[in-house]
Amino acid sequence: MPALFAEGFLLGLSTGFYCLASCLPLLAPYMLAEGGGTWKPNLLIFLRFAGGRLAAYALFALLATLAGRAGRYALPGWAVPASLLACGLLMTALALLRTAGGGKALCALERGLSPALKRLPLAMGFATGINICPPFAAGFLRLVGLADLPKGFAYFGGFFVSTTLFLTPVLLGTPWLGRRANEIGRLTLLVAGLWFCLLGLKGLI
Amino acid sequence: MTGTGNVRGRTVGAGVFGALLFLPVFFLSSRIAAAGPGARYALPWALFAAGIGAAIVYTGRVSFFRRIFFSVSALAFLVHFKLGMLYKVFNVTCSKDAPFCHIAMAPYFTGYLYQQYLAFMSGGWKLWGPLTLGAAWLFVTLAIGRGWCSWACFYGGIDDGLRALPRRALLKPGAWAARFRDLPAALLVFLLLASFAYMLPVYCLWLCPFKLTGEFLDAERSTRALQYGLMGLALAALTLGPLLTKKRVFCSYLCPFAAWQAFWGRINPFRVTPAEACSGCGACARVCPMSAIKSGPGGRAEVLAYCNLCGECVEACPAGGLRYTLFGLELPGGGALAGFLTAQNFYVYSALTLGAVFSSLWAPAALKDVIGALAR
Repeated sequence: MPALFAEGFLLGLSTGFYCLASCLPLLAPYMLAEGGGTWKPNLLIFLRFAGGRLAAYALFALLATLAGRAGRYALPGWAVPASLLACGLLMTALALLRTAGGGKALCALERGLSPALKRLPLAMGFATGINICPPFAAGFLRLVGLADLPKGFAYFGGFFVSTTLFLTPVLLGTPWLGRRANEIGRLTLLVAGLWFCLLGLKGLI
Repeated sequence: MTGTGNVRGRTVGAGVFGALLFLPVFFLSSRIAAAGPGARYALPWALFAAGIGAAIVYTGRVSFFRRIFFSVSALAFLVHFKLGMLYKVFNVTCSKDAPFCHIAMAPYFTGYLYQQYLAFMSGGWKLWGPLTLGAAWLFVTLAIGRGWCSWACFYGGIDDGLRALPRRALLKPGAWAARFRDLPAALLVFLLLASFAYMLPVYCLWLCPFKLTGEFLDAERSTRALQYGLMGLALAALTLGPLLTKKRVFCSYLCPFAAWQAFWGRINPFRVTPAEACSGCGACARVCPMSAIKSGPGGRAEVLAYCNLCGECVEACPAGGLRYTLFGLELPGGGALAGFLTAQNFYVYSALTLGAVFSSLWAPAALKDVIGALAR
């Protein structure tokens, strides 16, 4: 088991740059829009995002095992674009609500919707997690061959830990995050949300 | 007598300024033009730039004459460079290399860094084009900072020229203008991230209003339709936007390089600064083509980082409450040259020289194109 964890860890270490490139367009605009000038709230956003990715990796470990046992791949083709579309819509909605509120959240957002939207990083992390990149696909195939659930968790656990290391530099912007950065971040979130809506729609159509 | 003396002094000052401007512009432009249409085509271009400089010093009107120079430069760019590319509209080759365009440089910065890394690792770093571009950009930023957007950029020249055509604005910018003023900064952040993710010049592929004549369109039908849609939107912002609003809509809301230069322009010492004489009438904010002036504490004009030192507000202020400054100083020195060695003149000299030399990459060639077309 430790050998499989190390194997996944090394795979993530060698391809983490790719993860950074695919995760930053989702995570960075949100961090810029909703982050604060202190480490704690930003770390929470980061951990939620990482949690979403971990959940996606766990799902894949499960699917790879099932697929290995059943001899076929089980995730439906619409899942990735649909999740990207959902994330894009949420990002756009949050950005529009914040921008329309003149920098403050609307009352409805503050009262009822806030907890759900605060979990947006979780959804974004999940969306990036199930978005199959070449190194991830390599790991997936390895697990199909193993067809063993604990081994799958160990392998993707290692992969998750090392790729997460590549994402931590996003926290370095914390000291510069203020009201002005948040205002720019909300518009960035809007642009990024529309972009992911387009990507999702294109994938579905 | 004093009036005659003033006229003589201004005439001499304008003549000296024009001559001082002509020499470096002609020297450098003729060298650039020698590689293309021929050095002799640089002469009228250098004379034109020197004439503009002399007119600014003689009249004291920066923005009016600047706009003439700027628009002619942009027109020359369209004539020589972009019309030439029309022949390639139906070219099926799909080249997605990042172009050496200043607007593409900013959002594709990470891609350039990656290219540099590859070049460095392969031992070919001396051949790296972006390094040269980077040095040129640093020089421009140190020399004129955000002034690039109002003196040298060929896109800006189109926006600015069209803005001057209507008598009045048909559409008044509402609250949305201020609310979305940071859109270029947001676009820059997003494009930096997306270009990094795809290792492609995303701005050029999706938004550049001039790529309609280029080779950047996707092979897949629906994606290509989307590219056309977004590029058409950007083209409308560049052409219809200024005609309807008398504002530089593309430069103010869609240009990532404007945001990039607004950030790095801080290292440049030239500024437009409100003086004590500011009465808070708001005339400057109304005429500012970049929506870069807002009402600050006490109603006084507050110049934002997006100001590109075009001089429109300096001319519009009824009380002379806005001035060009260098390190915060107007430089009103004593002696016979007091009226000549001002921050405004230093800035105009710097910006006009740089703008004229940069545009000699296409302006002399455009002149040759026009002469050739007329001769046929």
